[in-house]
Amino acid sequence: MMRQPTVHELLEAFRHGDTDPVENAHRVIENIARREGKINAYISLEDFDSVLEKAEDSRRRWMRGAARKLEGIIIGVKDNISTSFLPTTAGSRILDGYVPPFDATVVERLQKEGAIIIGKTNLDEFAMGSTGEFSAFGPTRNPWDEERVPGGSSSGSGACLAYGGCNAALGSDTGGSVRLPAAYTATVGLKPTYGLVSRYGLIPYGNSLEQISPMGLSSLDVALILQVMSGYDPLDATSLNVNPDVVPEGPADPESIRLCIPGSLVGMSDEPVKKSFYSLIDRLTGEGASVDTVEIEGVEKALPTYYTIAVAEAASNLARFEGTLYPSRGDYSGDYWRFISKSRGEGFGIEVKRRILMGVYVLSEGYRDEYYLAATKVRRIVRDELARITKKCFIATPASPVLPPKLGEALGDPLKLYAMDAYTVLANLSGLPALVVPSGFSSNLPTGVQFIGGKLTERSLLSLGMLVEELTGIRGAYAGG
Amino acid sequence: MRVRIGLEIHVQLSNAGTKLFCDCDSEYRGFPPNSNVCPVCLGLPGALPVPGRRPVVLALATALSMKCKIPERLVFTRKHYFYPDLPKNYQITQFEKAGGAPVCLEGELEYLDTDSWEWRSVGISRINLEEDPGRTYYEGDILRSRYAYVDYNRSGVPLLEIVTKPEIPSPRQARMLVEYLLLLLEYIGAVNPRLEGVFRVDANISVEGGERVEVKNIGSTLDLEKALKFEAKRQTAIVERGGRVERETRHWDSARGMTKPLRLKEEEADYLYFPDPDLPPVEVGKDLLSEAIGILKTTPRSLFERISSMGIRSEIAWSIVSTPPASKRFLEAEKMVSDKRLLGRMIGVDLKGELKEQGRDLHKDSAWPPAERIAELVKLVERGEYTYDTIKGLVLPKLASNPLSPIQPLLPEKVDDVKALVDEVLKRESKAVRDYLSGRGKALNYLVGQVVRAAKGKAIDPRKAREELLNKLRELEARG
Repeated sequence: MMRQPTVHELLEAFRHGDTDPVENAHRVIENIARREGKINAYISLEDFDSVLEKAEDSRRRWMRGAARKLEGIIIGVKDNISTSFLPTTAGSRILDGYVPPFDATVVERLQKEGAIIIGKTNLDEFAMGSTGEFSAFGPTRNPWDEERVPGGSSSGSGACLAYGGCNAALGSDTGGSVRLPAAYTATVGLKPTYGLVSRYGLIPYGNSLEQISPMGLSSLDVALILQVMSGYDPLDATSLNVNPDVVPEGPADPESIRLCIPGSLVGMSDEPVKKSFYSLIDRLTGEGASVDTVEIEGVEKALPTYYTIAVAEAASNLARFEGTLYPSRGDYSGDYWRFISKSRGEGFGIEVKRRILMGVYVLSEGYRDEYYLAATKVRRIVRDELARITKKCFIATPASPVLPPKLGEALGDPLKLYAMDAYTVLANLSGLPALVVPSGFSSNLPTGVQFIGGKLTERSLLSLGMLVEELTGIRGAYAGG
Repeated sequence: MRVRIGLEIHVQLSNAGTKLFCDCDSEYRGFPPNSNVCPVCLGLPGALPVPGRRPVVLALATALSMKCKIPERLVFTRKHYFYPDLPKNYQITQFEKAGGAPVCLEGELEYLDTDSWEWRSVGISRINLEEDPGRTYYEGDILRSRYAYVDYNRSGVPLLEIVTKPEIPSPRQARMLVEYLLLLLEYIGAVNPRLEGVFRVDANISVEGGERVEVKNIGSTLDLEKALKFEAKRQTAIVERGGRVERETRHWDSARGMTKPLRLKEEEADYLYFPDPDLPPVEVGKDLLSEAIGILKTTPRSLFERISSMGIRSEIAWSIVSTPPASKRFLEAEKMVSDKRLLGRMIGVDLKGELKEQGRDLHKDSAWPPAERIAELVKLVERGEYTYDTIKGLVLPKLASNPLSPIQPLLPEKVDDVKALVDEVLKRESKAVRDYLSGRGKALNYLVGQVVRAAKGKAIDPRKAREELLNKLRELEARG
């Protein structure tokens, strides 16, 4: 397997003068120039000269011993995270040309620690999708196999990491949107505890479910990024008033690890996925980890529950896009209703429209009790159940029940598409942290394993991730090509 | 015919300082269009609402003043409808039937009936804390305007929606209730009731034997009484003719003084309510409650009762209470004087009247002289140095036009020798003297008048003049 340097390795190398931020920036820019035309990981890119200038500033800071925590690290930011210096489209035509007048809190925090934001990564429109194919700016391809999808909705963030178009990336995770791409691109993605990371500046899809989430080439990289971006933000009323240290000292001691496997849920996976998953579990038990099988009450209802809540919140959030305050395709003359119908009709893509319609349906008078309210009740059951289980063990599942599909393969059948999220939505419904790390390759396609931990157990989850990396040897995987 | 009225009163918390969910100004008037805005109140994607402490405290204080059931947690809900000046196309409110928890459910508003000076009360069904939308302007009227101009300065201003039960017995009572409510909100520092558009009222009214009619768009308490009177009369006439009052929504046309049916029949809108996931429930803890209780120390009722207990007539006490700068002066000056009734009359009747006469803004604190000055005037009267009429006629007009002036220069010169004046008048008015001596007592009043006149604007106590005249006249009588 070809390798590329991780953030941790880069920072060490910068410190020792083995390489410098300018050299790193040149390498990243070369990768973009070589692969971007085909992969389409970015919607907009910063001017390369200005990236190199910033890298030069970072180089000088390292020289004079004034380097900050992420000095010179190059980051791709998902295009639903607001930046005042680059357009923020959320992958939608309706926001084409919108430049927010403010930066998301996480963007501000990363830049304050010397990170360089190189561009805005591609995504399914408004983060609604599991393959990256619903972007208004064209699908992203998987750098490991260009005929396949890189997973979604943070498709560009996973892809740019895998081909070396950034050192680390930000995604957002509403139902698995960083964990699926991590699994499909042999990278690491962590959905933090709800409220650990400020959502201020994240264009909302499912507010009660989602977190801005770090992606990296290793668990340690993810920890280093999370450490900088997490913590209380007075601008987000759902932000937790905590500031934990999330960087592990090293890989977890395997003998201290207890895993719970929801057997029937894992049983739904395709054969190669199951094989890869259980062979990793075997290696962990071989090292001394203990494994139990559990049944999670209400788990079979988790997926419809997740989608009911997500589409309700989405329909509400997206009501604002009718052309008055945003770039619009509508013609202002004439009737207001015709104007907003035209703006929304032409501005939104098919999947967004589908979810808005479903959202309006589940919130409507006469249906709200049967759908939306029922979903919030099941959600509480699932949340309590998962909180109970994660008190004694990490829940382990494959990241996705299937291998990365080919482009177009999953598009025709929304239900099949939604089923890709069966394992990941558990963490969003419950607000618990969940980590996906590579578990191996199955006929040259990456597979990932997911661990769900208790509230605010990011540090131990990430040390477990480091342990898995020791066993698989997959860290800093580079989809050369 | 018996009338039943219920009110839905929307009041902006104009004095809250901030908007409901961001730090923009709660008093948006006077800003250039779209300059009192930020990503939050423009509803930009990714900007998040955070409840402001002051608006929440003021809403709690209002609920406490109405003895409401206050929930342990306030829960905000989203109410969806498309409108150009509603930037998110949903309004954040507190609808209790969709998981919301409003700041008040079930309360009671006491208000003063200023016709009978009795306290009355009306049930409150609920109070919501919510955000105001922006405003849309047109050139001329809506149909002819080329553009619709949207100004978001008002967007996000905290708004209380106060809903009474339909148990108000007359249009006049409805007006007195709203007037009292606005005064209460002014006293707790929530609202400046005189700002244009700071409140609006929707009223429902029914007469015996008829359906309930809703009247929208009422912008003043005077209009409220007028609109309801018009409606009561209209509905009564229909019932008396043997017709049926249908359930409908009407619009108050203030200029024409009549209600008109809304041309558009309102659709049964589905607002897709659900709890706002960006806003965790607001815990109504001890600190929030004690802050709200602190604000409620002074209410118009407590003040009115305190002032009345000093022996001051209800009309005067209310005149003072209904003008907060006046009540502030009264409470300060009251500690410095012994004749509270005199003080009450000076502040509540004559000084207030003089300020009004001169066209001053009675609700502006700087229009009023400091309390010490007013107390000084009362003390001059108490000590008998000047008569009340002299102060009222000669000093108050000057003080009203120059409220910061010291008192001394405003005082008229006093006649130092009353006897000399009396002698002068008696010499001149021999006919009146004869009349008096021959038994026409009325002539004395004439003579007193002449003495006061002879003072030529200098202060003179008519009682002293009368006393002196009587002495002299008795002397003359004795001499024969």
